[in-house]
Amino acid sequence: MRLSLQGVIPRPLREKVDTYTSGIWKSNVSLNRGDYVFVQAPSGTGKTTLVHILYGLRQDYDGQVQWDNTTLQKASEEELAQLRTNGVSVIFQDMRLFPELTAWENIDIKRQLTNTVTEQQATEWMQRLGIADKKNSPGATLSYGEQQRVAIIRALLQPFAWLLMDEPFSHLDHANIEKAITLIGEVVRQNNAGMLLADLDANTYFPYTKMILL
Amino acid sequence: MSDTPNYMLKKLLLHSRNNSRLWAALVALCVGTTLLLLTVLIWWNFRELLYGKNQNDSLGSTFMIIGKKVTDQNMGVKNATVFTDADITEVKHAPQVQDVGVISSNQFPVYAMMGGNLAFATDLPLESVPDNFIDKLPKEWVWHPGDRELPIIVSAQFLDIYNYVFAPSQGLPQLSETSVKAIALNLKVGGPERYETVTARVVGFSDRIGSVLAPQSFIDYGNKKYGKPGVASTTSQLILKTGDPSDTKFTDYIQLHSYSTNSQNLRWSKMRAIVEVVTTATGVLALLLMGISTMVFILFIELTIARAQASLTLLMQIGYSPARLSKFMSSRFLPLVMGTLLASMLIAMVVQYVASVQAKAQQLTLPELPGWPVWAALVLSTLILVVLISRSVSGAIRR
Repeated sequence: MRLSLQGVIPRPLREKVDTYTSGIWKSNVSLNRGDYVFVQAPSGTGKTTLVHILYGLRQDYDGQVQWDNTTLQKASEEELAQLRTNGVSVIFQDMRLFPELTAWENIDIKRQLTNTVTEQQATEWMQRLGIADKKNSPGATLSYGEQQRVAIIRALLQPFAWLLMDEPFSHLDHANIEKAITLIGEVVRQNNAGMLLADLDANTYFPYTKMILL
Repeated sequence: MSDTPNYMLKKLLLHSRNNSRLWAALVALCVGTTLLLLTVLIWWNFRELLYGKNQNDSLGSTFMIIGKKVTDQNMGVKNATVFTDADITEVKHAPQVQDVGVISSNQFPVYAMMGGNLAFATDLPLESVPDNFIDKLPKEWVWHPGDRELPIIVSAQFLDIYNYVFAPSQGLPQLSETSVKAIALNLKVGGPERYETVTARVVGFSDRIGSVLAPQSFIDYGNKKYGKPGVASTTSQLILKTGDPSDTKFTDYIQLHSYSTNSQNLRWSKMRAIVEVVTTATGVLALLLMGISTMVFILFIELTIARAQASLTLLMQIGYSPARLSKFMSSRFLPLVMGTLLASMLIAMVVQYVASVQAKAQQLTLPELPGWPVWAALVLSTLILVVLISRSVSGAIRR
């Protein structure tokens, strides 16, 4: 699955974007499945905006974003749902868990949507990231770190060609980051997928094939 | 360990359901639908009573016989109750009248005799109407000059008088319609010098006539052969074929001209006017109630969805399609509506059954199950509700 951006400018950032040269905004960018892309984005350059635009959550921009032949601005809600269950997965910076569901239910509600990962495997992933004991705790009571790990597992429960990550480890310590990197790396490889990770500072979490400055 | 996705969706989307409002909306919907179904049911039953196939009358339900009322003023006047050609033309143009036939009576003596246990003899007035005015023409209804057997249709009242007045007082057996049809009656037709005899058999009953009907060919034959010379035949009764004899326009016409008729339909017409007003009023009320309760129900659905908006947005962000979420929401609400409509239909069925039992006690026949218009009303209101609710659910989710 190929991602192409043509002259994309988020309207709220238009004035700021005019003052510097961005590797993505106003540019024509083409990324192929299998690329490991790191987008370095200093504060205020629109990192989260970019992830939301790519995931089809925002429409307030000029230019065009295409996943293969699907143009996001023209995609229907049903097409977007299709893209979000089979093509593109995301780890939000703000996690976005259901506070009224338990950690396990937050995972299971996504797992049962596509049924590509077994219950056993999902449980094992929880163990690997050290949140198995929080299985029955409501999302609202989980710490940020725990929420982030639930959000990571949730993003891996579907078939995908691209994994979008917005500061995915911001609430994790080094040891937990290592565990998460290993798990994400495995699943991305299994899916022959590409990844796009946006963060504030440069890092070596993954063997990136492309580095872009936002 | 794993819950069904529907369980989790329920937890996310329906947790804030306010049940008392839901029940109020459903009760209102049930009352509205029940009223609507009962309105249709009353209207249909009344039609069944008026025009149903269960009428036991050889003349159909849309035929009736009229005559001019004999009053104190006209009782001595010659030909006062005779229909002139102008009268007949006018009746032809009356509301609901489709055809007018002249009733001919015998201008020759007919003397009926019966032997055996039921021995009696009497002068018998005979009448005839054109064949096309007999709705269910009995297959024996033919007579040619020379035929020994004469089919007749008698007034149902004759049988009533015999069974309830005459037979008990004389110690005679009561007779059913079938047994009467088996009895042969000897008719002596003509004067003392010149006469012939025929055997008459009853082939049908009617409560529209006050006398005995014989085939037109017989009356014509008798009048020609045995009629008193010089006596012109006059028309004192007409048979009408009507579209809807209980139409008030028609009954008003009959009353205005002081025509007399013994048709039940005329007696029903006043009741029909009342029933029409009542069913129309109830129908309007029912539709109003259904409309309001549907609106309340839809508002309730929209409120439920609005309250769950945050969860709905997040569900769509993790890949749940609006169609799937609409289906889930509809699957929660539609069974409630279906159940409510079913309850209304059950009430209507019970009412119909009770009505049929009560009608039987009054010698009337009503079906035990509601007629098709009631089912049609149910299907139609179900369809409308399903469409409205599905549309409001998917509209609210995509908003």
